[in-house]
Formats: sequence, structure tokens, C-alpha cells
Amino acid sequence: MIDALAVRAPWYVVGVALGLVVVAALLTINQRIGAVGGYSDIVDRLNGRSAGLGWRAWFLFGIIGGSALFVMLGGGTGAQDGYGWLTRALGDRFELLAAPILLLAGILIGYGAKTAGGCTSGNGLCGSSLGSPASLAATATFMATAVATTLALSLVA
Amino acid sequence: MSHRVVAIGLGLLFGFMISWGHFTDPDEIREMLLVQDPYLWKMFATAVAVAFAGSRLIRGRRAWLVRERVSWTTTPPGRHHLVGAVTFGIGWAVAASCPAPIAAQLAQGVWWSAFTFAGVAIGVQLYQRGRAGAPHVDAGPDTPSEVTAGALPAGPSRRGGRDASRIRATAASGS
Repeated sequence: MIDALAVRAPWYVVGVALGLVVVAALLTINQRIGAVGGYSDIVDRLNGRSAGLGWRAWFLFGIIGGSALFVMLGGGTGAQDGYGWLTRALGDRFELLAAPILLLAGILIGYGAKTAGGCTSGNGLCGSSLGSPASLAATATFMATAVATTLALSLVA
Repeated sequence: MSHRVVAIGLGLLFGFMISWGHFTDPDEIREMLLVQDPYLWKMFATAVAVAFAGSRLIRGRRAWLVRERVSWTTTPPGRHHLVGAVTFGIGWAVAASCPAPIAAQLAQGVWWSAFTFAGVAIGVQLYQRGRAGAPHVDAGPDTPSEVTAGALPAGPSRRGGRDASRIRATAASGS
């Protein structure tokens, strides 16, 4: 167990590490990281559209492994029982409604990220840092939309 | 094989760090989106700054594991980027999570995220199905639309990499 993992890391430690992941992907295999690409690889493989899993699927598996490693080393995730604000807002009586709500939210995330050409990591982190006008526009749009939607939800829930 | 090993290694680091930064906690993300907690904004800005500087430092150098020089091309924004971003932003706000943290949540026993994970896969499938009948240029499963990295043969000089990257055509495909 590592005591330092029990509390949230300083923002600059996490920020530098994630930035270096982008640089390392370019420096080693000359590729751009993106999490939603991993979902695409898995879906394409399951549908038989590709003969094998692409490297982005393995990147996604690595993310799952890194998260598991963090917990095994004693990391505190901050997560509570249930699904945070959503299950609290629904209460015990309607808690199960969180399942279809999260499924629908996931569909919006997956479809939207594919349409926009990337997600928070692909467009927001990687594309923006590489100076892509498309990624910068997409990032500004999804961040503004998310902030506005969250503020609107906070008024009703 | 080298791509797979590197991807797993970088994914491990990525997943570990987003977990340590509590990116996997829906409440932390919600506080960020309510502009109540600057932590994740500062972290995000730092990551972009580091990646911006680092990518410029290595641009044109030979990549370690492939016979290419580090390069990328970019495209201007189109309507689909904005429509997709609005759709993504609504989903992000409701779930208070995005594709990488959703996967990381699964490993932390946040079982509600199984629904979000399945939803993302369904959304990707719906997009792929919609694209199946539409004519488009597919640059391959590893090539995102906004920034196309790689596939530039290694030459004798850094300048060659930069110049060639400027004139490369950028193909459109989903990431």
C-alpha cells in the first residue's frame, strides 16, 4: 500500500503525466491517443469488420489495468456508493432509473465522440495540443455544452 | 506487436493517473463542470501545455519503434465536429464521465458504469452503421480525423519530415 495514493494527486503531477503520454505515443509509434478509438476497435472486431484488435483497443485495456493497479496499490478514488450525484438525485426509490439514463448518456457520448472525431482525450487533450483547428473547435463546443447542461441539471436535480 | 506493447504501457499510465486525479469520480467531474473546483481545469490545461511543448520538440525526429518521422496534419472544423461535440457534451454532463474514465470506473467496481460503457459501444456501433452506406475515405482504424499522425517515411533530416507533413493529404475517418 502506498499512502500517497490515498489522497488526490496534485493537479500538476497528473497534468504533466497525461501530457507526456501524448508525447510518448508520438515519439514511440507516431500515433495519436484517443480512448473512443479503443471502443471502435472493439466494436469493429466484434462485428467482424476487422480481423484483429487495433492498438487503440489495447490502450483502452491498459487504462482499465492502470485503474485496477491504482486500487490494488491502495489508491483512494473518492467514489462513493452508487453513482454520485445521479443516484443521490434519484433517491432509493428511483435509483434503478440510473441504468437507462447512463445507457442513454453513453450512447450520446459514443455517437457524439465518433461524429466529432474524438473524445476528451482524442480531441481535448491530444488534438488540441497538436494545434488542430477541428479539435480546438470540438473541445470548446463540448466543454461549453457540458458546463451549460450540468448547470441546467443542477437547477432541476 | 510494438504498437500493442506501447499502447498497453501508455494505457496503464493513463488509467493510473486519471484514477489518482479522481477523474473517475462522477462527483468530482460534476464539480468541475459546475465550475466549483478548478483542479481538473488546471490539470487539463497543464496536460495540453506539456503535450503542446513536447510534440513540438520531437516533431520531425524519427519515431523509436516505427520507420517514420514524427509528424501530423490537421483539418479545419466542419459542421460534424460541432454537432458531435454538442451531442458528446450532453452525454458527458449527464454521466459526469467520458470514455477513458468510464473504462477506468469498471476496474474500480463502479458497476453503474457498465451501463455507460455499453452505451458508448452502442453509440459507436450506431455511428459505424450510419457510415457504412456513406461514401468516405477511410484512412484506417488507427487514424483519427482531426489530426493524422504517422505514416511518414524516415528521411535524413528533420526538415524533410516537417515539410512533407505540410503537404500530406488528410483523410477523413472516425477516431
